[in-house]
Amino acid sequence: MLEMKHIKKVYRTESIETHALEDFSLIVGGGEFVSVTGPSGSGKTTFLNVAGLLDTFDSGTYLLNGMDVSRLSDREMSQIRNRTIGFVFQSFNLIPDLSVFDNVDVPLRYRGLPASERKRRIEQALGMVGLSARTKHLPSQLSGGQQQRVAIARVLAGEPKLILADEPTGNLDSVMTREIMDLLERINDSGTTIVMVTHSPECAERAHRQLHVFDGRIVDVERPRVTLAREGGSGVAATLN
Amino acid sequence: MFGYYVQTALRSLRRTPVLTAVLIAAIALGICISTTFIALRHVFEKDPLPGKSQSLFFVRLDNWDPARAYVAEDPKSLPPQLTYKDMRALMRSPIPGRQTGMFISRMFVFPPSAKVRPFRQTIRLAFSDFFPMFNIPFQYGSGWDKAADAKPEQVIVIDAAMNQKLFGGGNSVGKTVRIADRNFKVAGVIAPEWQPSYRYYDLAQGPVPPESIFMPFNLTPVMQIRTSGNSDGWKDFGNTPEDFLNSEQTWIQFWVELPDGAKLRAYRDWVTNYVRDQKTHGRFQRPLHVEINSMQDMLEQFGFVPKTVKAMSFVSLLFLIVCSLNLVGLLLGKFLARVPEVSVRRALGASKVQVFWQHVVECEVIGVIGGAIGMLLSVAMLSVIAKVLQQANGNSISGVSLDLEMVGVSIFLSLVAGLMAGIYPAWRICSVAPAMQLKLQ
Repeated sequence: MLEMKHIKKVYRTESIETHALEDFSLIVGGGEFVSVTGPSGSGKTTFLNVAGLLDTFDSGTYLLNGMDVSRLSDREMSQIRNRTIGFVFQSFNLIPDLSVFDNVDVPLRYRGLPASERKRRIEQALGMVGLSARTKHLPSQLSGGQQQRVAIARVLAGEPKLILADEPTGNLDSVMTREIMDLLERINDSGTTIVMVTHSPECAERAHRQLHVFDGRIVDVERPRVTLAREGGSGVAATLN
Repeated sequence: MFGYYVQTALRSLRRTPVLTAVLIAAIALGICISTTFIALRHVFEKDPLPGKSQSLFFVRLDNWDPARAYVAEDPKSLPPQLTYKDMRALMRSPIPGRQTGMFISRMFVFPPSAKVRPFRQTIRLAFSDFFPMFNIPFQYGSGWDKAADAKPEQVIVIDAAMNQKLFGGGNSVGKTVRIADRNFKVAGVIAPEWQPSYRYYDLAQGPVPPESIFMPFNLTPVMQIRTSGNSDGWKDFGNTPEDFLNSEQTWIQFWVELPDGAKLRAYRDWVTNYVRDQKTHGRFQRPLHVEINSMQDMLEQFGFVPKTVKAMSFVSLLFLIVCSLNLVGLLLGKFLARVPEVSVRRALGASKVQVFWQHVVECEVIGVIGGAIGMLLSVAMLSVIAKVLQQANGNSISGVSLDLEMVGVSIFLSLVAGLMAGIYPAWRICSVAPAMQLKLQ
């Protein structure tokens, strides 16, 4: 699903060079649930941004679904973000003046789907996260957990192959955290690959595989607790430097 | 996607109502000013007789002083009007389909009703061809016929306003009205919709509204009518009316209708031969110079668009540009405040181009709303200008309004203004890197 080899990403200002990713290599198979932990500033979010085609990298190769993404145009990358990748953010990133329905609708609009198909997908996705009755609510009228569920419904409506979650439970209490993690597990059970950056050891443990990032490199891999049996998941292992 | 962009734009505009009002007001002001002055210019520039004007030609001859040109500094200049005797001679040409000489005079009109006091009125004297040549529509009756020209009969054509004034409206054909010292029978009443902004058939008098009464040209010698319009001469024109008619004084505008190029060439030859012949009689001592120009050429040559209107239309466009450019900063601030939302949209699959167009559409929505308001203001402003012109000219100026063409121009200007204001902010917002914003939110 996702294959990075020797990825290097440096942020430069006039006086400072920050090596956010350094010789970063990783393979994530289809259907895997991978957690990425590490201290602040270790490069977790940079990795997620590069993986999600939201940021570029300086060197190395990145194959997404077997496709080299380094030479893609903005339009092509946008299409991949729209159709293949789903993002879940720590701060939910819902558009405040759009209703729940319209928030879930945003990626589908850019996909150019007909109205009936969009409506079907939105209702189905909101049903999956238990928010069918809140379609007309604004984000500000929902709890944090509910907002995150809307964000996940927005991902589900797009039926992506890969979900990139950046501390999805970072702003939630323990009850909501469990709820969201249960939801992510269910999504993963249906075959969707999930890469989740988290600070929480409890959340990280629920992944099939745990990676630890430090100074822009993967320094530790927790072997899967269970053998991956899903399609595309068997035989997949993290590749260390 | 366009519908979604419009929805998003309207939502965005509702989010910041005060800023939106300022943006729309600025565009509205710019459109109002620019549309008003461009419309005013358009009134004077547009083809007064679409489909007909290309077959109407204005004839000029150089009968001027052999020692100097009509305009001393311009040796090729010609007097804009003809002498009476040249007009008479040209009327004998069989080539034009229609032709008319004409001039204006001021006479006293004595209304049939004692309730209306006699008044002095500008009257146009022309031949019967005048009405079909210039597509004058009739509400009642028609223009007089060639027999009335020849006799000449004491008939008149009046416009709808004069019909209202003299006869209280209604069909007044056959009724009589006293003008000067004679009674005239009404032959026709011009339809009220005929309201040209200026006398496009009289290039010597400047852009003023048409007359309300027309009578046969051939009454001129009979009634010893003198022109009250422009009259140019370089020789003494005597003391009697007959002396004046036989003088080198130019005071008659002369139009011919020539349906095609062949007729035009033939007529040009005919007129040239006439001038050559006159030269043998001691007239036309300047180099042979005959001008037969189309109506559009003449409107341009005579500069019917007042210079102030030309200048104001140019300045008003600059004003619109300034209004638009002033909005760039406001829109940039508005758009950059939306970086987090744009970053989310980018993450969810919006391309740079889509973000760019979404914001351009928002600017265009501002432009269209502002343009619509500006157009309404422009209509009001034009009616004020029409009233000012009315006071200045002592007559109503019609046609000073927005026609369909000008509505189109106004919409175009609105879109251009919106684009000018929004293209840079839209480009800036679509160039924002989304990654940082997504984490910071």
